[in-house]
Amino acid sequence: MAHPSQLGFQDAASPVMEELLHFHDHALMIVFLISTLVLYIIVAMVSTKLTNKYILDSQEIEIIWTVLPAVILILIALPSLRILYLMDEINDPHLTIKAMGHQWYWSYEYTDYEDLGFDSYMIPTQDLAPGQFRLLEADHRMVVPVESPIRILISAEDVLHSWAVPALGIKMDAVPGRLNQTAFITSRPGVFYGQCSEICGANHSFMPIVVEAVPLEHFESWSSLMLEDASL
Amino acid sequence: MSLVKPAMRGLLGKRLRFHLPIAFALSLVAAAGFKYGVTEPRKQAYAEFYRNYDAAKEFNNMREAGIFESVRPSGE
Repeated sequence: MAHPSQLGFQDAASPVMEELLHFHDHALMIVFLISTLVLYIIVAMVSTKLTNKYILDSQEIEIIWTVLPAVILILIALPSLRILYLMDEINDPHLTIKAMGHQWYWSYEYTDYEDLGFDSYMIPTQDLAPGQFRLLEADHRMVVPVESPIRILISAEDVLHSWAVPALGIKMDAVPGRLNQTAFITSRPGVFYGQCSEICGANHSFMPIVVEAVPLEHFESWSSLMLEDASL
Repeated sequence: MSLVKPAMRGLLGKRLRFHLPIAFALSLVAAAGFKYGVTEPRKQAYAEFYRNYDAAKEFNNMREAGIFESVRPSGE
């Protein structure tokens, strides 16, 4: 989850998010390169006693400041396209989960084997246990097996929502009448938080997402328990 | 007596020929500084973290700390 005075991304918990982190560093390096250059030139242009500085004709510099930005754009585009195609790779998921957005909660359906479905409401601040995170905790977490490719189908039952978990590098709009698909693998066990990322009404800020990644045997025990609870 | 005629043309070009190489050099230094000060250490940190990462051990530590809801600590 995010922590106070954080500037950068949350620690990556999936391979895709690690790639996105490194790409962001690469793009930011280029941003600093250009910004330093432009800042220096601005200071140099402003701090001169020369008065005739607006009539300049030079083929050489025109060529340089056309070709150089094109090269820089290619240096940004190539890693960007690499990640784009990496994110779209067919990865033979072990599990498919449906995440449905409602006003104002998420519901999850695990229907590969049995019919498991549950709602996930935010825990109100007054009901939080010590150590729990305000506006981030949910009463039922989306539990997934760690290090397994998971397919997630995202949609909505009423208005637009967006299912986002920054640590996993996922954000996908939940559109009524449309199924959006994305996939992820969690690199390590843990609990990963996200929040609805498309304005959806009064409680848009109060419908968090919590993903819990545990080893497969514990995931299986959990899903059996949830099915028993649902049948009672 | 004759005075030397001061340079009256090409002053901006001269200033640019002096400052632009410095500007490019400084920007490359800034980029290299960011790359070797932030980017590479971050890559190394992730590689180091996962090199000897024991998922089972970390999972058990987190479980005993009571972080998970699907798996309670072994005492409970």
